[in-house]
Amino acid sequence: MSNALMQTHDASTMAGLKTDQLFINLGPQHPSTHGVLRIGLTIEGEVIVKAVPDIGYLHRGTEKLSEVRNYHHCVVLTDRWDYVSAMPNNLVFCLAAEKLAGVKTTPRADALRVIMCEMNRIASHLLFFGTYGIDLGAYTPFLYAFREREMVLDLFEMLCGARLTYNYIRLGGVMVDASPEWLKRTSEFLEYFKPRLDEYDTLLTYNPIFMARTKGIGIVSAAEAKDWALSGPNLRGSGVNYDVRKFAPYSGYENYDFEVPLGKDGSCWDRYFCRVSEMRQSVRIVSQAIAKLPEGPFQASGFAKVPKPIAGESYANVEASRGDLGIYLASDGGISPYRMHVHAPSFINLAMLQDKLVGMKVSDVIALLGSIDIVLGEVDR
Amino acid sequence: MIKYFANVFNNSRAIVQGHWITLKYMFKPAVTIHYPDEKLVPFEKFRGALLFDQQVCISCNLCVKACPSNCIQLENAKNETGKKIAKVEWYSIDFGKCNFCRLCEEACPTKPKSVWHSLDYEVIFVKRDEMVRCWKKDFPFVGKYFDRKTQDFMDAEGQVSIHDVQPRRS
Repeated sequence: MSNALMQTHDASTMAGLKTDQLFINLGPQHPSTHGVLRIGLTIEGEVIVKAVPDIGYLHRGTEKLSEVRNYHHCVVLTDRWDYVSAMPNNLVFCLAAEKLAGVKTTPRADALRVIMCEMNRIASHLLFFGTYGIDLGAYTPFLYAFREREMVLDLFEMLCGARLTYNYIRLGGVMVDASPEWLKRTSEFLEYFKPRLDEYDTLLTYNPIFMARTKGIGIVSAAEAKDWALSGPNLRGSGVNYDVRKFAPYSGYENYDFEVPLGKDGSCWDRYFCRVSEMRQSVRIVSQAIAKLPEGPFQASGFAKVPKPIAGESYANVEASRGDLGIYLASDGGISPYRMHVHAPSFINLAMLQDKLVGMKVSDVIALLGSIDIVLGEVDR
Repeated sequence: MIKYFANVFNNSRAIVQGHWITLKYMFKPAVTIHYPDEKLVPFEKFRGALLFDQQVCISCNLCVKACPSNCIQLENAKNETGKKIAKVEWYSIDFGKCNFCRLCEEACPTKPKSVWHSLDYEVIFVKRDEMVRCWKKDFPFVGKYFDRKTQDFMDAEGQVSIHDVQPRRS
């Protein structure tokens, strides 16, 4: 009898064994999905055989809403896409609208835009850093990340009055000028922040337990990343050197000296490490921008209260915290856009889940999902 | 075997290093505040709940046009002969729709501003009717709301103003 049992556990017979397939709903209220995302997982034992991401729980129809609002009102709507880094959203809409209206911004407005976008990138990546630690069972880094994130948000509150939906970057410039005191406090924050990044490396980046959970997991090759049109740190984690700030500079990014961090093999750890390295580069950019902040007006003159661009279309894209964020605007000469389309990086990055999750273990789903760093407000818009 | 012990050593070292960072901050003052007991005062430019002053308002409709979500409504006052004057008859803000974007405050031409963001971040509503605040002539300064059941303007009893910061106004 014992012999017969032993035989069933033999490796040769195990291969022929099939367990029942089981369907699991991951989400929409799963804490690690960073929003309302549902993934329908079909699993066989512990291995995933099919994954279907289900989105649309946060759809607010901002693209349609923009068609009945004027261009100033649309900036308010853009805050609600990627709500953890709303500055690049403001910026990309303003760039597209300025192209359409043929307005040039002032140098000071450009520099302030760069400062705010990079500070927002730091805040956004700090949120990623903290929550990714939580996803993989490390709670402490989250507390440290939020301590610093709070400081960035305080700076935003001091300048523009809001902590999340800024509405700071306006058509033709910015909302208010940065006071010398604000610039001083920002420089102080940068000085405080630089050593903190080394602490993060000790706490999480080079932690052996964390590395064991993320290195070699969810590998996306460079060719695959290009095929899926990934962008942002997800693309650069695979070793593809593409950054809109370098390749098509906007708002004077060509004047700043910074590097584009690249990953090696495209595993979860590489994508994570790209973001942590990007925070260092953002610190560099902000300190350079503050050092050579030009004097002058912060708002371009000659912009109408209710702009009425001539009929035409324009496309602008920026390197947002999550990738290549683009806006397509079409105008028919009226006060509101005829059509606005958002090329949202989170939405495109999310699409690779259905292919990439197949064959992975259930315990690695959150490791991959967290490393893509999606914001559902941007996926559903 | 050596690999096994090296692994154990590396993991323990990482735990000790992590705890060392925590230990460094343990004796420093806490960065958190205990919310209901202590309260943060927001920065001067903070965009809190909207306030309105009907004495200053000239009823120019610019805030209504500036609002992206149509949350402001107003009606001109009229004098005895039925002619419109630069005063409001009533003014209402729907806080359920408000985006806190400051476009209305920027559009306001009066000095001081007749509609502005206060520093109040503890805005509490217990009924949906309460979200629509109405300012009416000769009514007290803080907004009343229109109760659909009694068809009358009521005091906002649900809103507990537990935070007394001076509203910013320029």
